[in-house]
Amino acid sequence: MHIQDGLLSTEVCVATGALSLAAVGYSLHKLKASIADRIFPLTGMMAALIFAGQMVNFPLPFVPVSGHLVGGVMAAVLLGPWGGCVALTLVLLVQRFLFADGGLLTLGANVLHMAVIGSIGGYAVYSWTLRFVGSGTRGRLAAVGIASWLTVMASAALFCLEFRLSHSVQQFEFGRIFALMVSFHALIGIGEALISVAVINFIWQQRPDLFERPTTAAGPVARLGGALTAGLVVALAVGAFAAPFASSLPDGLEAVAERTGFDDAAISAWSAFDDYDAIPLGDWDGLSVSLAGVGGTLSVFLIAVIAGRALRQRSSPAEAHRE
Amino acid sequence: MSDYLDRYGRSKSICHRLPAQLKLWLTLVVVFVAVLVPIQYWPLHGMLVCTIFIGFSLARIPLAYVLRRLAIFLPMMLVLSVSMPLSQGFATGWEIMFSILAGSSISLLAGLWLVNVMPFQQLLATLRRLWIPDVLIALLAFMYRYIFVLWDELDKMRVARRARTYGKAGLWFRWKVSAQLIGMLLIRAMSRAERVHGAMCARGWDGRIRTLE
Repeated sequence: MHIQDGLLSTEVCVATGALSLAAVGYSLHKLKASIADRIFPLTGMMAALIFAGQMVNFPLPFVPVSGHLVGGVMAAVLLGPWGGCVALTLVLLVQRFLFADGGLLTLGANVLHMAVIGSIGGYAVYSWTLRFVGSGTRGRLAAVGIASWLTVMASAALFCLEFRLSHSVQQFEFGRIFALMVSFHALIGIGEALISVAVINFIWQQRPDLFERPTTAAGPVARLGGALTAGLVVALAVGAFAAPFASSLPDGLEAVAERTGFDDAAISAWSAFDDYDAIPLGDWDGLSVSLAGVGGTLSVFLIAVIAGRALRQRSSPAEAHRE
Repeated sequence: MSDYLDRYGRSKSICHRLPAQLKLWLTLVVVFVAVLVPIQYWPLHGMLVCTIFIGFSLARIPLAYVLRRLAIFLPMMLVLSVSMPLSQGFATGWEIMFSILAGSSISLLAGLWLVNVMPFQQLLATLRRLWIPDVLIALLAFMYRYIFVLWDELDKMRVARRARTYGKAGLWFRWKVSAQLIGMLLIRAMSRAERVHGAMCARGWDGRIRTLE
């Protein structure tokens, strides 16, 4: 999930860095306002927990790799959007400096994707969804699942956009990489949604009081920002699905790139190969587009099924103590 | 496990005696050069790798430790970078693949060197003198303090799981148990945070961060 150095051009790195600097700065400002409260140890502990929790493997069927939690939505649900954003930023910083996970220049992009979209966007979607489904067990779990899945999809869509802006137009077929990323992340999103729903379900059974007061809920700002961010995240995710089918989008982006002169700015390290045509790999486009569609439908279906199963599981709380 | 991240941060050598700020800037320069210089100038990247390994031997960090960290990191990177030539056509794909591999490996090695030539607290103190806000540094220090506590707790719970899961469990069951593992760890971590907060209040915590410097 982490973007490594070399994938994005310097301009995009600077732009995403500025965006996430602003968002994290604002979150820190919000956090400072209530720092004498228990928010300080809770945020630090949550960051340490997510870091440790990512060591817990979730085996995947049919393949010998395993996935792990990202945790943006989970942190936001328990700490509020600003605390969640700061906690995820801490995790990414430690991962960068102690694990060398993700690039140094791309740290801004990673923070934008996982901390800002993951926590602030995730919380917006979560609180927005709660209005429609109610804040009972069923509604909460559904909201967590939807928020987790949407934030992963939005990050994937945003990455495609950044990747597109990082490289010159001739080098890549935007539609192809978009379809590939979206179909791949539709599946990753299911994993994240499943893990988040399962973890939140367990905590909800054991300690429902932890949900009672998100420690950095920010009044009218959160509500206004909530609606805005929810719209953004939904639009990005919808765009991710619509893009492979609407073949006019790459043209539109190209037009924008030419008009704004971004083409010239986006000259990258390997521009020596600009005039080389990428080798077409047969019918890849059609395949990936249908894969994206199948992946999307499947994931929505699976989320519904899982939510149902998680609810049934709740009837036997004794099992929870077995671990 | 508990000293896995920066095992040699507290040992002594020439590198450990260098001023902390110098080491931080050296590392940043190496990483920026490795990432920003195009892969066509690959002898430069080779020189950087050699320099870093000289740094490792000067700091008396065993090669086995470095290679083990590299071995965990490289397969993942290989998969990601090999997908570039496969999905983008070969000529441009190879370029990107090597530039990602070189950039990320050098950035890993340089970062590994940095955290192993000074204690983490000293790194934080150095960062504080740059432009990083106090709250973030204090939170990082708090997080670093408890990562290892939570890891040990997680290890105990994993042992408990292994002791109770006889034979091959089903996929759904393993997912459920893993989720409960994280959930239990989270509940314990939150109670611990509340206890720590109580202790902080008892010692006069009012939201201001004080250090011994």
